[in-house]
Amino acid sequence: MSGPILALRGVTKAYAQGSLLDRLVGGASRFVALDDVTLEIARGDVIGIVGESGSGKSTLASLAVGLTRPTAGEILLDGEPLAALMRDHAGSWRRRIQMVFQDSSSALNPRKTIARCLAQTLALRGVPRATQEDDTIALLALVGLGAETAPRLPHELSGGQRQRVGLARALAMKPDILIADEPVSSLDVSLQAQVINLLSRLTRELGLTLLFISHDLAVVRTLCSRIIVMRKGRIVEEGPCLDVLARPTHPYTQLLISSVPKGIVGRRAPAAVASATSSVG
Amino acid sequence: MSAPLLKIEELHVGFRGADGIVEAVRGIDFSVASGEVVGIVGESGSGKSLSMLAVMRLLGATARITGGRVVFDGEDLLAASEARMREIRGRDIAMVFQDPQSSLNPALSIGRQVIDVVRAHRPVSTSEARRLAIQALERVGIGEASRRLEAYPHEFSGGMRQRALIAMAIACRPRLLIADEPTTALDVTVQAQIVDLIAELRRDLGLAVIFISHNLQLVAEIVDRVVVMYGGKVVEDGSAADIEHAARHPYTRLLKACVPSLQGPLGPLAAIEGAPPRLGRMPPGCPFAPRCPQAVGVCGREMPALVTDAARRIACWRPQ
Amino acid sequence: MSRLAQLVRTADWTGWLGATIVLVMMGAAVAAPLIAPYDPVAISIEHRLSAPGAEHWLGTDQAGRDVLSRIIYGARASLAVGIGAVIIGALLGVSAGLFAAYAGGLGDQITMRIVDGVASIPLLVWAIAIVGVLGVGPVTIGSLQLPNEVKIVTLVGCLFSPVFARVTYAVAKRIVGADYVKARYLQGASHWQIVLGEVLPNCLSPIIVQATLLVAIGIVIEASISFVGLGVQPPQPSWGTMLSDARNALYSGEWWLPVFPGLAISVTVIGFNLLGDAVRDLFDPRNEARTLVA
Repeated sequence: MSGPILALRGVTKAYAQGSLLDRLVGGASRFVALDDVTLEIARGDVIGIVGESGSGKSTLASLAVGLTRPTAGEILLDGEPLAALMRDHAGSWRRRIQMVFQDSSSALNPRKTIARCLAQTLALRGVPRATQEDDTIALLALVGLGAETAPRLPHELSGGQRQRVGLARALAMKPDILIADEPVSSLDVSLQAQVINLLSRLTRELGLTLLFISHDLAVVRTLCSRIIVMRKGRIVEEGPCLDVLARPTHPYTQLLISSVPKGIVGRRAPAAVASATSSVG
Repeated sequence: MSAPLLKIEELHVGFRGADGIVEAVRGIDFSVASGEVVGIVGESGSGKSLSMLAVMRLLGATARITGGRVVFDGEDLLAASEARMREIRGRDIAMVFQDPQSSLNPALSIGRQVIDVVRAHRPVSTSEARRLAIQALERVGIGEASRRLEAYPHEFSGGMRQRALIAMAIACRPRLLIADEPTTALDVTVQAQIVDLIAELRRDLGLAVIFISHNLQLVAEIVDRVVVMYGGKVVEDGSAADIEHAARHPYTRLLKACVPSLQGPLGPLAAIEGAPPRLGRMPPGCPFAPRCPQAVGVCGREMPALVTDAARRIACWRPQ
Repeated sequence: MSRLAQLVRTADWTGWLGATIVLVMMGAAVAAPLIAPYDPVAISIEHRLSAPGAEHWLGTDQAGRDVLSRIIYGARASLAVGIGAVIIGALLGVSAGLFAAYAGGLGDQITMRIVDGVASIPLLVWAIAIVGVLGVGPVTIGSLQLPNEVKIVTLVGCLFSPVFARVTYAVAKRIVGADYVKARYLQGASHWQIVLGEVLPNCLSPIIVQATLLVAIGIVIEASISFVGLGVQPPQPSWGTMLSDARNALYSGEWWLPVFPGLAISVTVIGFNLLGDAVRDLFDPRNEARTLVA
């Protein structure tokens, strides 16, 4: 199938703020999380979306996967409007796009064993009861976890293991597109590398399209072929990852790159610090 | 060599668990000289934050110091009374924590909180305290400080809040500033500003700084010396240059190799197998042995001692 | 399950005391016909107002009825109202709380404002209104005849529902925002599957704690309603009516008439409170998180 696998056209997401009364009277202000964003993702792309807090990158992820609806604009999944697909809540279109979340205490149900979590997911894909156990073991192996992980509860696993389970849960639906929202940000540094390597390998092996959302430029550089830089709800720069990072054109991109810690090489003479009244502070 | 400002000897900190005491900091030694900036780098379970809380005697009800000595400017902090510690905290040793939002009282104005710190340690008049507060806020780069005194924490951005906390910390000109992951909750652009600020304050006020982080690159940007902790022990201690170019402990070397950078080669990252050890389940011997590609028999049996070699200390049976 | 056993072992002696009291009272209520020495409504004028002694361990009342037997049978009314009201309150309140938390938006607002409305109604006013309209006789629905207690249980149940609704809402709201719920949503799980499979199980602990504490309150409410004559009707025994009948005894010296029903109420309420506290400590996340993280 030709054409982009995922496309956003003039997508805006705004939230009304203030109490119900304010909104009725018309005095409420609006917070614009995403402002007229247009972007196209080709099949098999591995795209990094970087930005700081308030950039709208997480909102973009929620919209793309169908967790919320845009205030304006449209989203097309393989050419079909997402709004229409969303009317069928449990439809087969859900399998095409899945999400991996940040490792937190709420990424996995704390009272469910890993086996049950994966089995329930497989059931929703239509896998019959008889094969669920074998498929669960196969999924765990795919993400580098042994069968002994299955009867465990989330708090018994390390952060890296939990993220692998989250990945297994998303892959259980055999998606074409995987959206990863800061999947390694809360992990210990030594575990981040494991999960990054895993994502890289799986993306290649399974031919996935990956949207990798992060605030960490270095991680995005390792994993992604294309990069999109966002700030305050807008895309400020996009292009091939290595090009943008080596020769950034937008001042914000340049600022981001210069802010990344570089060890001794980045040692700055403690010169006068600019006043904090700038908007970036 | 003059006496160090802070000297930690064989410090042990543990939690009271269901079956006895579980040690999280298992005997660490290091010192900080006057005006020196030391970075403590470690992951979860390394005990880096807990050891500094122990130095400040700020451990909660569940954790307690089970052994060791902490000497600050000749005074044994572990033997000091709580009243004496209250004098020391904020005036001689100050601490800044990770989450600026939860470190500030949302019901009091920023100015009020800074003034409170000043008046707690110096017998000055209200107007003088106010002047010192404005001075402290300007010092950390918060412009229009006199107007900003009346502002409440929720009106400040994350970076500004952290600056306000640093202002509170330096308001009484402490000799040592302990910063526990001060930038982890902040955006990367703001992070750079805060790190610059700390470097500048160190230069202007002659502060000694202990900078705790999980990010080796970040720490290497401003510190003179790096202390690497793992599993409740110090595994390597050397100058920033030594650690950067010639790290000798397998953990330090792997830690540097597994972090992606903007300049390094592409391709799969060198990952460390396994996961950091959990409390109460520390292996006997070297804590890194289960994950160490260089481990041999003795590594799993006996804990290597911290050995001094030139300006470096390393705890390993097989340093590279 | 072994984690539960581990936590139970650390429970305080007060929790065990509470559990024992509750079990004894419930046992008495269930086994009343077997353990009560006398028929609670049997009148015996020649034995009226006898002090506690060998024949009547707790004495007899103005009509010669055995106080001990009346207390044992009275447990039935008290516990039936307490537990029944909690069950009805939980069914109504938990459903409302779950719906409001999951639906969000307008449904959330409307439901919780209704809950606020019900919560603002004072019990006795409500009781008088209902009884005034329906009378104190048995309730007839079609061919079914239900005793007056059903009115009380339903009434108190409705009044308990806001507590359950709020507790459930508070916990469910947090859970509904959790990533694992979003993940199920993205898999196409139906709303029922999500609410019953993910949200409700994680709400159960605070609901159970609330339930144990409210049973105690229900018992006191039953006693209060019966005390003013709107609850259990004579000659059926109820701790509340026994206290009401014993009002004059305070002046004439038959101390056993108010003291024993009063003790029964107090001890049972204390028992449920202690049990509730122990259950709350059991489910306290600080206890659950015994795996420490540095």
